[in-house]
Amino acid sequence: MITTTALLAALVALLGGVGAYLMLPGRHGRARPALLHKAGFQAAVLGLVLFYPFLSPMGDFIVTSFFDLFATTAIVAAVLMTTSRDPIHSALWFAAVVISTAGLFLLAGAPFLAAGTVIVYAGAIVVMFLFVIMLAQMEGKAAYDRAAHAPGAAALACFTLLWCLLTALGSIQTEKTGPIETREQQVRAEATLGRTEFLVARYKLRKSSDLLTVIAGASPSTNRIEDEEGREKLNVAGLGEALYTDHLVTAGLSGVLLFVALIAAVAIANPKPPGAGMGPKSVAP
Amino acid sequence: MLLIGILIKIFVVANVLMGAVAYLIWVERKVAAFAQDRIGPNRCGREFGVPEGLLQPLADGAKMMLKEGVVPGYVNKPLYILAPVIAIVAALLGFAVVPFGPVGPDQIMDFQIAPYLDIGIVWVFAVSSLAVYGVILAGWASNNKYSFFGGLRSSAQLISYEIPLGLSILGIVLLAGSLDLNAIIKWQDEHVWGILASPIGFLIFLVSGFAETNRLPFDLPEAEQELVGGFHTEYSGMKFGMFFLGEYVHVITVSALTVILFLGGWDLPFVNLHYDQVGLVAAVV
Repeated sequence: MITTTALLAALVALLGGVGAYLMLPGRHGRARPALLHKAGFQAAVLGLVLFYPFLSPMGDFIVTSFFDLFATTAIVAAVLMTTSRDPIHSALWFAAVVISTAGLFLLAGAPFLAAGTVIVYAGAIVVMFLFVIMLAQMEGKAAYDRAAHAPGAAALACFTLLWCLLTALGSIQTEKTGPIETREQQVRAEATLGRTEFLVARYKLRKSSDLLTVIAGASPSTNRIEDEEGREKLNVAGLGEALYTDHLVTAGLSGVLLFVALIAAVAIANPKPPGAGMGPKSVAP
Repeated sequence: MLLIGILIKIFVVANVLMGAVAYLIWVERKVAAFAQDRIGPNRCGREFGVPEGLLQPLADGAKMMLKEGVVPGYVNKPLYILAPVIAIVAALLGFAVVPFGPVGPDQIMDFQIAPYLDIGIVWVFAVSSLAVYGVILAGWASNNKYSFFGGLRSSAQLISYEIPLGLSILGIVLLAGSLDLNAIIKWQDEHVWGILASPIGFLIFLVSGFAETNRLPFDLPEAEQELVGGFHTEYSGMKFGMFFLGEYVHVITVSALTVILFLGGWDLPFVNLHYDQVGLVAAVV
């Protein structure tokens, strides 16, 4: 069934894809002609405007306006990050993406995740990028910094994925206006979100209030764990409990992975000069 | 109504902070003058019968505002203007979770801009990790060797001392069982001060705090004899003033955190007064 949602999604993906492709630098670091660049910019803006109906209102006026602000900033900064021809500007736009994503986390009631994202990505990784770029670029920009590797394929792949996501999530968009009442609505929403039949059968149908969307009903977030007396737990406590009960193996494995990576980093960044202490090689012939 | 109340609270707290910054600068000038056998500012306000140059901060502020804001022709203008904005915004945001009086439903009001945020101290670290951007961007956008090296040194120092700063609070956080600053004060009120519970943590926090705020033993970003003025060499007028304000607000925040985490907040030692009563007195003071 071809609905207006699917058509709109296709239009958004097409406009965004063409716009982003035209805004990306060419393979050899040359900018496209100014007219094409401007046309790409306009297509991308139009795609963004058409994307607006897909954004779901989250609550009252203040929350909604903050949501719109963060969401728009994140998308615009992401496009600018990929299309910018100066690596430093790219890194800064990436920081903008990370900060607006953290804002979205904050709005969704996950302040610890927001703070963690800001500390790890904006505070550490992007600053490290900036350091490296600034130190490596003392003599001007190299051509490979300005070139896009395969702009056409990248734009095609990304915006096909976006189209898939929009058509899949757009179908629950129509359900979202009312509370979940029938089992079919719940099953559809959960199937859209990738739950298996087993999980759909296991979780009971719950009746949510008007503000709770299908998504909230389909996947209870970790910070809503209630304690014995039925009170809601604090955010950090809930997150910690979820990590160390439901996801204990995952948390442990990622810890091991990070530890191994740390050892590897120490091994790679050997302060000894190359050649020293390498056995027979270091012995002068 | 609630929103207006919050806005008024933010306005009052931000302005009190700025005033405190102005008088901190006055105190620093007086103390430095005393240490160097000078007199320091003593004229301003004498016409109005105000002793000891107490109106000097007002004159300083007026000077900053009225000075010509020179923007050199060779700078990267958007980033050059953005950098001081980031510096002051990050510094002021960090103060949002610092309680300056008791918080709770049974109090007259919540003496904290963002009460009931259970990530507390993590928020401060997240925001202060963003303050690096102000420094690094100011150094880079100034397009000047001295500024650039000052910015690099300063940001290297900031990001490296963030790690001991974060680790030093772990002891007291584990003891109190919460990241919320109010809960930490409450724990210290019921047990002992944090400085007795984790003395090494206090020392590390103090040293890293000095480094984070670029205060004296760690003021290499402002090494005048080699770097002119460090990252803010090219800044003048109110843009320089914003860096200055941001730095002193950061000092106030770190001092407040030291007191809250290790010196029991507004809890008096050896006096078994109730938590709330002492808090109210401290907030009024």
